[in-house]
Amino acid sequence: MTYFARSATMPAQVLAFGLTKRLGASEVLRGVDISAQRGVITLLGPNGAGKTTLLRCLATISAVDSGSLLIDGLDPAHETDRVEIRRRLGYLPQRPGIAASARVFDVVDYVAVLKEIGDERVRRHLAYDVLDRVGLADRAHDRVADLSGGMVQRLGLAQALIGHPSLLLLDEPSAGLDPDERFRLREIVAERRHSTTVFQSTHLIDEAALSDQILVLDGGRLRFVGTPQALAESARGRAWTQPGPPASGRAHWKQADGRYRCLGDPPPHAQLTEPTVEDGYLLLRAASTGSG
Amino acid sequence: MHPTDQARIDRNWRAITIEIDAPRPGRFEALLRRIGLPAHLSRLVVATPALRRSWFVATGLVMVLGLTVDAQAGRAGLLPLLLLAPLLPVMGVSLAYGLEADPAHEASLATPMSGLRLVLTRAATVVAFSAVVLGVVSLIGSSRAAAPMMAFSWLLPALGTTAATLALMTVFAPRRAAVLVGVAWVVVVLMARGASGDPLAAFGLVGQMGMSLVAVVGVALAFVRREHFDLLGIRS
Repeated sequence: MTYFARSATMPAQVLAFGLTKRLGASEVLRGVDISAQRGVITLLGPNGAGKTTLLRCLATISAVDSGSLLIDGLDPAHETDRVEIRRRLGYLPQRPGIAASARVFDVVDYVAVLKEIGDERVRRHLAYDVLDRVGLADRAHDRVADLSGGMVQRLGLAQALIGHPSLLLLDEPSAGLDPDERFRLREIVAERRHSTTVFQSTHLIDEAALSDQILVLDGGRLRFVGTPQALAESARGRAWTQPGPPASGRAHWKQADGRYRCLGDPPPHAQLTEPTVEDGYLLLRAASTGSG
Repeated sequence: MHPTDQARIDRNWRAITIEIDAPRPGRFEALLRRIGLPAHLSRLVVATPALRRSWFVATGLVMVLGLTVDAQAGRAGLLPLLLLAPLLPVMGVSLAYGLEADPAHEASLATPMSGLRLVLTRAATVVAFSAVVLGVVSLIGSSRAAAPMMAFSWLLPALGTTAATLALMTVFAPRRAAVLVGVAWVVVVLMARGASGDPLAAFGLVGQMGMSLVAVVGVALAFVRREHFDLLGIRS
């Protein structure tokens, strides 16, 4: 089969049931279930929630301790299946680990070699193609040290995109980026929404709000699975504004208009407001930590 | 002009500009290609800057050691060279794989390239380069020490130590594996000298056979436990 024949892909189907993973003494994933095909799926959760571990398991570089994981019907526990999954995979780790002394083109070309693209000419064209997509084609000769943080992150994304993956795993792709770079990154990911299954982790609620599905992880457990609208809707009737801070320990903050936005069980006659994804997320967090 | 023709012209023009614009390989990579290593393998080898820097320095030191063999000491003068030569590929292999050596290690794990294949490709390059450089140095050192038969007696021990390092890398982080093998090798050589009174006893027939066995067992173990090169873990 030629490279190009293989590269005509469908979005990957990811099915996971009861995934558990221990790191040392702590259980970082506790019975996680996932069913996804196509679209952008965002993992939300506090630090240590298990987002990176889950992405590593999906990337097949970390083995689960129990439960079953199937990607396009292939089981990463088996060597031949794992290799086949990796042929369909693009992975951007939290720390892409791009050597500062390397040239931009070489960084992408190296991953193309690892992705079994042996023909040098094909690699060159694919490398320029993905560099073009992330807006770095004109920097192909530059050293990584000469790029901004946002450009390095886009270069990491180019590494993940090479080879037309049907499953794209991005671990905090927009961490540390300015709004312009975040917007650019968001566009690149959104372009692949219909051809790829994209899992991305983030701490940015506004980014999660643009995805097709949100998974909220906390303490290794899935606390919510659904659309951004459903997460916002879960806060309906539990978000209100008032002139001063609430008397009880409910979650609240002062808005730009000077009023306080409060979350939780509203007092009688509270002025309820349209809930947001952030409200839904914060209420979920409060429920799992037992506060608010 | 028909729009299809224009699209075709654009595609062809782009293909041409890519061919012209694509960066040429660096000096070291170009050297590897010139000596016959395929382009994709050269790229795999040069992607670990830590490997090049540290290992080149170590090779240089062993070369100096070989070229300054004490001619008055006879065979015993070869001991430092023969003791250190098998450790060069060990160092090279430990610097060829893992998070400490390869900044893109985590991203590279998630590709279809087998971790064992990647480390073996780099190890083979390291061992081959060591063999050529140290071969010349050993010949010079052996002739100075009037012990020409000893010229290549480090070769099998080098294969043994390299294979043992690969096997241990499935249990420990690469640098720890290299240190363990290095210490074990030095202890074995010094113990053999103490037991027999011959400074080069470890490089005799029994020693060579022993290290051959270590090489075979080491490679077999690394192959059987190859999954450990494909996953993040203590070895990374």
